[in-house]
Parts: sequence; structure tokens; C-alpha cells
Amino acid sequence: MKPFIRDIILEHKIEIMEEWQKEINKFRTDDSLQNITDTMYENTNREFVNKLILTVQTEGGGDHDELIQFAERLIQLGWPLNYITRGLQEFRKITIETLSETSDNYCKSIEFFQEIEDWIDGIVNLLVNQYSGSWENTVFLQKMALKELSAPLIPVFDNISVMPLIGTIDTERAKLIMENLLDGVIEHRSQVVLIDITGVPVVDTMVAHHIIQASEAVRLVGAKCILVGIRPEIAQTIVNLGIDLGKFPTKSTLKKGIESALELTKRQIVEIEQ
Amino acid sequence: MRIPILKLHDYLLISVQVELDDQTALQFQEDVLGKIHEEGSRGVVIDLTSVEMIDSFIAKVLGDVVDMSNLMGAKVVLTGIQPAVAITLIDMGIVLDEVPTALDLEQGLERLQLELEG
Amino acid sequence: MQVQTHVDIHSEWGIVAARQAGRKLAREIGFGSVDQARITTAISELARNIYLYANKGQIQIEEVTVSGKRGIKIIAVDEGPGIKDLRRVMEDGFTTSGGLGAGLPGVKRLMDEFDIDSEMNAGTSISAIKWLR
Repeated sequence: MKPFIRDIILEHKIEIMEEWQKEINKFRTDDSLQNITDTMYENTNREFVNKLILTVQTEGGGDHDELIQFAERLIQLGWPLNYITRGLQEFRKITIETLSETSDNYCKSIEFFQEIEDWIDGIVNLLVNQYSGSWENTVFLQKMALKELSAPLIPVFDNISVMPLIGTIDTERAKLIMENLLDGVIEHRSQVVLIDITGVPVVDTMVAHHIIQASEAVRLVGAKCILVGIRPEIAQTIVNLGIDLGKFPTKSTLKKGIESALELTKRQIVEIEQ
Repeated sequence: MRIPILKLHDYLLISVQVELDDQTALQFQEDVLGKIHEEGSRGVVIDLTSVEMIDSFIAKVLGDVVDMSNLMGAKVVLTGIQPAVAITLIDMGIVLDEVPTALDLEQGLERLQLELEG
Repeated sequence: MQVQTHVDIHSEWGIVAARQAGRKLAREIGFGSVDQARITTAISELARNIYLYANKGQIQIEEVTVSGKRGIKIIAVDEGPGIKDLRRVMEDGFTTSGGLGAGLPGVKRLMDEFDIDSEMNAGTSISAIKWLR
């Protein structure tokens, strides 16, 4: 930024800051800012605008460390991104308005506007990148967490295992489920595997396709698959979509599934007479 | 290269321990059928635990061995198909629909006994 | 310099050599056992097609890196008769060799990217990529 522009901004610093704080207070009623106290809000506003002015004061405008630290704190506290973007938009508007009202003619030129735009755009990019970086990180961690959640195979009797499926099944998860399932079958020497879909909210053709493939793969490695936990609405969608599950056995509940698994492995549960 | 075929009472036991190239696979098909004819076997267990890959050609040869053996009156069970191999076959759309399978040689023999009695 | 392997296919042994080379590179790149099987099987199908239909050709296997993603690329080239109807060979169950008709559509499903180029009486070139997850 050119030194004399910097000087003009700093000269009108007080006006800009006051005007900005007035404007930013209009967003106070936003839903996402409701649970922040008034003092907190005011303090944050003051800090924000101070940091913005600071980027003018520092030579070359390249040193944004303080602003980055400020944004990092906002991210940790869970402030919404639009507080920052709106704050910056207002700041740009007010700076240009305030300065174009001055007597200096240069402040009415296109060149001047561009200088201000470049300065603010740099800050916008910087802060938005920081926010999205933190989101990407969150998404990554959640993906990992979901992966860990994905479908353990639980041996319940000798040669009988259960795999409870919970949540939506997409292609990537389906692949993981399939690998877990087959490795588990080998590890536990399972002859019968019950796939429990009680916790799967929606069974569409895609999900059904994944389940059918998994059960066919289970058959290839030498075990048998029973699909259990078929709720009425799932039975309806399956039939309505014309999905053919005729090739492998299904049961309404895990309990019935286990009974038929025991039968398949030539066992049964009997009551002991006292 | 030839894959050894063992005889156990009415059954033939085969453990495929080599990487199957086309010629070996076809030779194997011929040997199994010849042996069934020679011994009058009623059942065959083919163990594939050490097989790391089954492509469409080998899948076809295996499927054919099962069908041909059935024609000659011998039931075939495939055992020990590895998870990675099973997933690859499913991905390719090869289901080996009518072929009985079991986890390992031991369960394969049990399964044969069951099929022959039932 | 990235790893690259060429295997000439002019006999059935070429098929075995190609898939062994593929498995080795897939393992080195860090693919898991399931993807290793997928890659090896895809190579086997492509190599067999060369042997069956063109008699001879070449399989190239190489490591690829595109915008930070790592993967393995298989290129199958021959100067055989070419494929008459590209759409039909990609249909499940279509076969001219008496096989299962799972070959090319199978390769497409096993890999992440698939590209085929064929000219009558000039040859066929197929490339397929599997990305490391």
C-alpha cells in the first residue's frame, strides 16, 4: 500500500472504527451469535477492528500474524465465518465512504478504490483459508471417526458372527464393510454371518446392491449370510424398488436370525429343567 | 506344471499351491476329470487358500470343472477363497452362482458329506 | 524418475510375468491386499486379451502421481486386428472367445479410470489407473 494512503486511513482511524462498530452491531441479532454475551461481542468487535487497523500500520502490509491469531481464537470459540466476512465487507464500505468524503481528490479515484480493495481482499482470503482449513481438518477427523465406527464383526457363538450396520452406507463405507466382513469371517471361522440392518435408515437400490455384493462375497469365501433387522418400511421399499433379495435368506429380527443360524450349524438352545 | 491330486476314500483332495497360468489350469481340468473317472470318486474338494488371484479365465475353468464333475457324478466344493480374491470376483461380476463353497478343507469335507447324504 | 515396467506378451507366460510385475509394483506403492488382487486381475485380463486377439503386444506398468494423488497405471498396447464394436465389448457377458464375457467391463470396474482406443487393423491401446486410497 502506498504510504500516503496509509496515512490517510490512519488519520481517519477513529471515525472508521466508530462507524464500523455501529454497523457490526446490527448483526448482533443473528441466530449464530445469540449465545455470545454483549460484553464479549463488544470486546471482540473492538479487537477485530484494532487488528484490521494494525494491518495498515505495519510496513508492507505483509505481517498479519496478530490477525491470524485472532481468527484462530474465533474458530476455537466457534464464531461463524460470516461474522468475519461481513465485518470485512462493512470495513471496506466504511473505509471507502469515510475517505471519499474527505477533501482529498485522490480519495475519489479508481486507483484509490483498487488499493483499498486489494488490501481487504488479501485479508479476506487469508481468513477464509484459515477457516476452511479448520473445516477440512474437522471433516477429515470425522471421516476417520466414522471409519473406526464402521462395522465390527462380532462372534456370538462358535461359527456364528453378527455384523451390525449403523448409519448411511455409501460406496466407500461399503468397501470397508466388505473387507471387515470377509477378514472377520476368516479370522473367526464363521460359517454363518448375520448382517443386521436395523440401524440403517434408508435402504435404496445402491445400499441393497452393496449388501447383495457383500453376501455373495461371503458365500465365495465359504460362509453363509443372513440379512436380519428388516423393518416394515424397509421391506416395503425393497419390494417397491423391485430389488431381488430372493437369493439369500432374510429374517425380521436378529433373534430369529440367530435361531436359524444355530439350526444351520445343527445346534439349538434348550431350557434346562431344574 | 501339474497340480497333485490326492485320493481319500471316495473323495479327491486338491490343494492348489502354485500361481495358475492358463496351461496349468487347463491341464488341471483334464487331470481332475481323468482322476474322477479312474477312481469313481463321489466328491472333490479344491482348496484355493494359496491362490492370490482368480481372473475371468481361471474362474471359467474352475466353474467348468464343477459343472463337468457334476455331470460325471462327483460333487465339487471350493474352499479357502481369500477375501481379496472374493472381492475381486464380485467386482468383476463373477458370482460362481452354483458352486458350493466352504471356509477350509475340513469344512469342505463336511459340506461334501452333507451334500452326498442329503 | 518413477518406476516403470514393460512386459512383452507373446506367449501365455507373458501373462504370468505381467501380473507378477504388477503385484510387485502395487505392493511397493503401498496398495492393500484387496487392491493388489484387483490390480493383478486387471493386468491378467488385459494381457490375456492381447495374447488371445493380437498374439503379441506389450503391458506397461508404472507409478503415477497427479496433484498429490498416487496410483498405478496399466497400459496395454497391441498391433492386432482392433476391436470392431467398442460398445459391445464393454457389455457384461459379451464374448467372442467363449469366456465369461467379464474381461473388459470387469477391468473397468476393478480400476478407477479406464480408457480404450482402438482402430481396425491397426491395434488397440487400453489404459487404466487405480488410485491409492
